[in-house]
Amino acid sequence: MNWRWPESTSLEEVLKVHWIGASIPRLDGWPKVRGEARYPTDLVLEEMLHAKTVRSPHPHAKILSVDTSEADGMPGVAAVLTASDIPGQNRYGALVQDAPVLAEDVVRYIGEPVALVAAVCEEAAVEAAEAVNVEYQPLRPVTSIEEALSPGAPRLHSTGNVARHTVISRGSPHSAIETSDVVVETMYRTQSQKHMFLEPEGGVAWIDEDGTINVVAGGQNPYRDKLQISRVLGLPMEKIRVVSYPAGGAFGGKDDITVQIHLALLAWKTGKPVRLVWSREESGVVGYHRHPYRMEMKTGATRDGRLTANLAKIYSDTGAYQSFGPAILDVSIEMINGPYRIPNYEIDAYLVYTDNGVASAFRGFGAPQANFAIESQLNMIAEKLGMDKLEIRAMNVLGPREPGSFGVAVETEPSIQRILERARGRLSRVGTPSRGWSRRGIGVALAMKGVGFGAIPDYPAAAIEIDPDRERVVAYFTNPDYGQGVITSCAQIVAEALQLHVDKVEVVNADTALSPDTGSSSASKSTYAAGNALLLAARNAVRRLALEAARILGVPASEVGYDAGFFSAPGSRGRVSIFDAAAEMASRGSRPRFEAAFEIPRRPEPVEGTLEVPHLVFSHALAIAEVDVDLLLAKAEAKDVHLIADVGRLINPVGARAQMEGGAIQGVGYALMEEQAYSDARTENINFTTYIVPTIADVPDVSVEFVEGEEKTGPYGAKGAGEVPFVPIAAAVADAIADATGVRPTELPMNGERLSRLLASAGLLPKRLSRLLEGA
Amino acid sequence: MSTLVDISFTLNGRPVKVRIPPAKTLLNVLREDLGITSVKPGCETGECGACTVLLDGEPVVSCLVLASQVQGRSVITVEGLGTEGNPDPLQETFVEEGAVQCGYCTPGFIIAARALLDHDKNPSVEEVKEALSGNICRCGAYPRIIRAVLKAAERYRWR
Repeated sequence: MNWRWPESTSLEEVLKVHWIGASIPRLDGWPKVRGEARYPTDLVLEEMLHAKTVRSPHPHAKILSVDTSEADGMPGVAAVLTASDIPGQNRYGALVQDAPVLAEDVVRYIGEPVALVAAVCEEAAVEAAEAVNVEYQPLRPVTSIEEALSPGAPRLHSTGNVARHTVISRGSPHSAIETSDVVVETMYRTQSQKHMFLEPEGGVAWIDEDGTINVVAGGQNPYRDKLQISRVLGLPMEKIRVVSYPAGGAFGGKDDITVQIHLALLAWKTGKPVRLVWSREESGVVGYHRHPYRMEMKTGATRDGRLTANLAKIYSDTGAYQSFGPAILDVSIEMINGPYRIPNYEIDAYLVYTDNGVASAFRGFGAPQANFAIESQLNMIAEKLGMDKLEIRAMNVLGPREPGSFGVAVETEPSIQRILERARGRLSRVGTPSRGWSRRGIGVALAMKGVGFGAIPDYPAAAIEIDPDRERVVAYFTNPDYGQGVITSCAQIVAEALQLHVDKVEVVNADTALSPDTGSSSASKSTYAAGNALLLAARNAVRRLALEAARILGVPASEVGYDAGFFSAPGSRGRVSIFDAAAEMASRGSRPRFEAAFEIPRRPEPVEGTLEVPHLVFSHALAIAEVDVDLLLAKAEAKDVHLIADVGRLINPVGARAQMEGGAIQGVGYALMEEQAYSDARTENINFTTYIVPTIADVPDVSVEFVEGEEKTGPYGAKGAGEVPFVPIAAAVADAIADATGVRPTELPMNGERLSRLLASAGLLPKRLSRLLEGA
Repeated sequence: MSTLVDISFTLNGRPVKVRIPPAKTLLNVLREDLGITSVKPGCETGECGACTVLLDGEPVVSCLVLASQVQGRSVITVEGLGTEGNPDPLQETFVEEGAVQCGYCTPGFIIAARALLDHDKNPSVEEVKEALSGNICRCGAYPRIIRAVLKAAERYRWR
């Protein structure tokens, strides 16, 4: 690769400070700017079939019959598959396998797959898909959380419409609320947000000469995808290979199964290579989305600002199936008290089925919704008491190692305190004069995000191979790089661990045929998980190759030391490079490849009633947002977002900053503009014209300040930066709007429609309008 | 089968000839007939900018151009910008500034930016935003993309 050092960092400086903290250009940067990177949807295979999915036009219906006879006989058609063609279990799902691979008797959302078609060309596949005759008996759909819970609502699953209900409480929350000096009671609503990654869900599959099914598709957890394929096809795991690199964006939306099982089924049934790619509109209708929430909050405090109690009712709309819904609800439960000392609380949380598509993972994973509620509550309490918003947080935030709501500390070092300290003075700096109908406001919110799966066991494994012929170190791990930069940060970790130039390190990413299982890229853990596993593998490599070096040097292994790529021993002449030691090992038929698994620290048992509460490692971020509100147009525009964050030690500062900025910008979209609207379980905004994401013209100035803590369990002190920048944005923007207008938004997104209602309800709009009309 | 037509045009400086259905889009001809996969079908309706190419030096979304419209004209994609040893300044600065994340939108942004810098080697931030407002980056690399374009402009000026 041909790259230059960033101007501020000379090669000498980098070697002096090592590879940790060096902003080397990303390893996949050059192929991407040259147009050489081949994404799964770019792949073309010889004699490849093209596939289409036959989908339900109804949000809720009984399937009376599926007739494929016409499609079967059409020219060019290689296969038409229905539920009865599935050899194994006709169910999938990341946590619970509750979603049919192809619907058999009932469909529960618009676009639910009923049949698959493969044909020699795209046009033939489309025509055949249209010729599959499915007879439905439409049923009344369940279109909202409220409807799902109302008596007499249609039952979407045999267990009813509540997928999960959890109550967790401590102390005497109800009486503590009654005796609180100040109580803030608010209902919050958050919307469905679409991932809108630029590369839609898609990929290819084919069968090897040895009968292995190969599936290449953008994904976030190739080993789990492989497991799910194996269950559905009824094939042993070793017959399946999944590759999930690269992906044109994911953000959580490719974490659960998208096309992988359908691709494998079609390849298996036809024996031919198959391509299946969802169109933008298909992705818009049936791709996953962020869970919409309804949250009823009652939060109390003493006169001097100490939080006394929090009553939270959380309702999450998971759509037709669970996917990650239960785990996402866990994160909301864990976040609804914030990083605060709240002696009394009651959390009453529901995961509810509706016919509104299928909700799943999305950057933040339940934290953004909860954060919007609790941080807005805190800002309102501060306002009621006339307190400084940073002061009320400093007063209530848990101390380092102080057990929080779920028995564990939210930080091991005083990182939140340092963040709040840095923020001091920044909130009072505002004062940009408001002009005409435009009002400038400033707002603040504090967020945390767990790194990893909390109490759920997670043992990421990785491997390192020392290639003596090419003098390269190859790092193998499977959690995919879909843009976040994990292959670059992990190459730096390996270079640092082996004290070699990073150019000596290559990465093989997200291929189940070549690498042990590193788990998912999700939960802000990709660098933390893969980095830790690689660090252990690197140590194994040095320990094992020291034996070879000792043999060459003719000294006892206990005397051999390793430094910057070479083994040596005091008193012995010469030294042995790590590659020569590997050659020695290889010469006797052993492959110089070293695996290791890391256990992500966890409590042995989750908090009762949950899957993954509590987490033990958290990243933290505080957002300060400056927003202009045009009272006349009822339009809010984010002008400036400043993040102060602790994501642990930065492995690649430019990469970490890029993650933080991108997260904040997606957060601004969530706060102000993005919403997939469902009406009667039908959604219309399914492409970039109707679902508006931030463009370059919409972005505020984003700045990021790191309080660089050192996480003791992290690789070289790293935690995770993927999600935490997103989490506080909506609450900070809402606070800025409240500061500008005197009324506080409690529903997302804060778009023109909602803002005009809000301003009108506060009497702001008509009064101003009438004054304008009077010529004032 | 519909009738096929022969289309000749210049692709990245080299003459090419394809026999295609006349209504096939330039995007699909580039991807399917000519193996140019840097042009990405992010939406196929002209909304996302990921398939932007230079057509006689002007940026166009290739999903909205019929291949028959490019007869005799010049088409440039990122594959045609710079070489391994001598990259285009935009390719350098996109990598240096961390303006690439998932990379799916990157070729389209680079082409749109190249069109801007071909006309104006000293654009303001507002002009960069204007020129790139038809391209979507869902990873949110926008601040870095702006910096990369301004930095590349500097290098173009020194060329």
